[in-house]
Amino acid sequence: MAVNFTLNGKPRSFSGDPRTSLLDALRNDFRLTGAKDVCGEGFCGACIISLNGEPKTSCLLPMGALDGTTVTTIEGVGGVETLNEVQQAFLDFDVVQCGMCFPGMVMTLTHYLAENPKPSRTEVKAALTGNICRCTGYERIIDAVMSLQGSGAEVAIQT
Amino acid sequence: MTIIDLANTYHQPLSIEAAVSLLGDKAADTVLIGGATWVMRAPLRDQHTDRFFVSLAKIPELHRVSANATHLELGALVTHQGLAAATTALPEMAALAQAAAHSANPAIRRLATVGGNICTQGFAAADLVPACVALAATVDVQSGAGTATLSVEDYIPSRGSRPSDEILTRVCIPRQSGKSAHARGLLRRAGEYPVANVSLYMEAGADGMIEVIRIAVGAVETSVKRWHALERVLKGQHLATASVADLAETLMTDMTPRDAIDAPGWYRLRILPQLVERAFSDVVAQIEGVS
Repeated sequence: MAVNFTLNGKPRSFSGDPRTSLLDALRNDFRLTGAKDVCGEGFCGACIISLNGEPKTSCLLPMGALDGTTVTTIEGVGGVETLNEVQQAFLDFDVVQCGMCFPGMVMTLTHYLAENPKPSRTEVKAALTGNICRCTGYERIIDAVMSLQGSGAEVAIQT
Repeated sequence: MTIIDLANTYHQPLSIEAAVSLLGDKAADTVLIGGATWVMRAPLRDQHTDRFFVSLAKIPELHRVSANATHLELGALVTHQGLAAATTALPEMAALAQAAAHSANPAIRRLATVGGNICTQGFAAADLVPACVALAATVDVQSGAGTATLSVEDYIPSRGSRPSDEILTRVCIPRQSGKSAHARGLLRRAGEYPVANVSLYMEAGADGMIEVIRIAVGAVETSVKRWHALERVLKGQHLATASVADLAETLMTDMTPRDAIDAPGWYRLRILPQLVERAFSDVVAQIEGVS
């Protein structure tokens, strides 16, 4: 059973065990290590990717379910030479510390801001419910998101 | 040594009948998956996953949502996110809407399904299950022997002895005149399974007397529990005079709390009266808002 899907804009095929998680396939087969392997049960958010335009935990997605889908990882949200607006804001506000959570944070927030361009600070906190950070205390992350208010930034992920 | 044929380990039937047939052939070695959020964590529970996966995701009717004057009908693969959206315009189903909108976290709510929540044995902290019980929901099941409808309350304790080729296809929630609410007790503010949860449905007369009440408790015991003793005490009382937390406190011996890694049993009992009070107050506010 070959699983054919689009990964970061390119057609890809996976012929391994279809019960393998997308996270394991990304890291071990496609050598994309941006999605992090942390809790393995969908609660830390470090492995979040975009599946057909929606953020989902790749540790809980069996490869067999992905035939015909479009997957975007943190490696695919910006251009080769450019960052997307959320990534740039994270850089500008010196958000990143250990780096384990921020790929998932970017995936969650990129989707969230595309749907809610002018969220309140409380709404941003609620949107980050499934993304755990053990370094920053979150405030700088939220500062970075709030800096994008009304910027008209194009943050949508391709579907 | 068992050799796994990888090409034959993941099936995606296109109809309920095909899925039932597949289960009939391989039920002993098969795991049925909806959103897959439970089975993909099997290794963390020291459970093996070398089984045939039968995914129901490609069966269109299992994703359908429809509402009419008498019922809300949900295909078994409707996600928590989809359910939350479907119930926003159905105020009497606030318990279900609240349970669906706040369970786990947003990414899981996009994957986890109502059918999976109801069918998964060993998942004591499901949020949708007590809501379904409080709202008197039923499930439709289909197997090689035919179809059947039974209440969620009856289905849950029978999960371990259901036919091996049976699939839960639909959840049906009656439209009712009362109000409902769901309260979750967490160790953090959000983003995790509840230590205890309570769903409550209630109808009151024009004089404010409680006429119908159903209370379902989740996460405290190993499976959802309908709290009949508390319902009996509250029925016939006036909305304004019922001291629900105090009454719940007197009936705690009804519960057989479970110890687990997230919390000991005594802690679940400690917070339970306040959760009942919270759900009750929410429903009273809805009823008074209407009247």
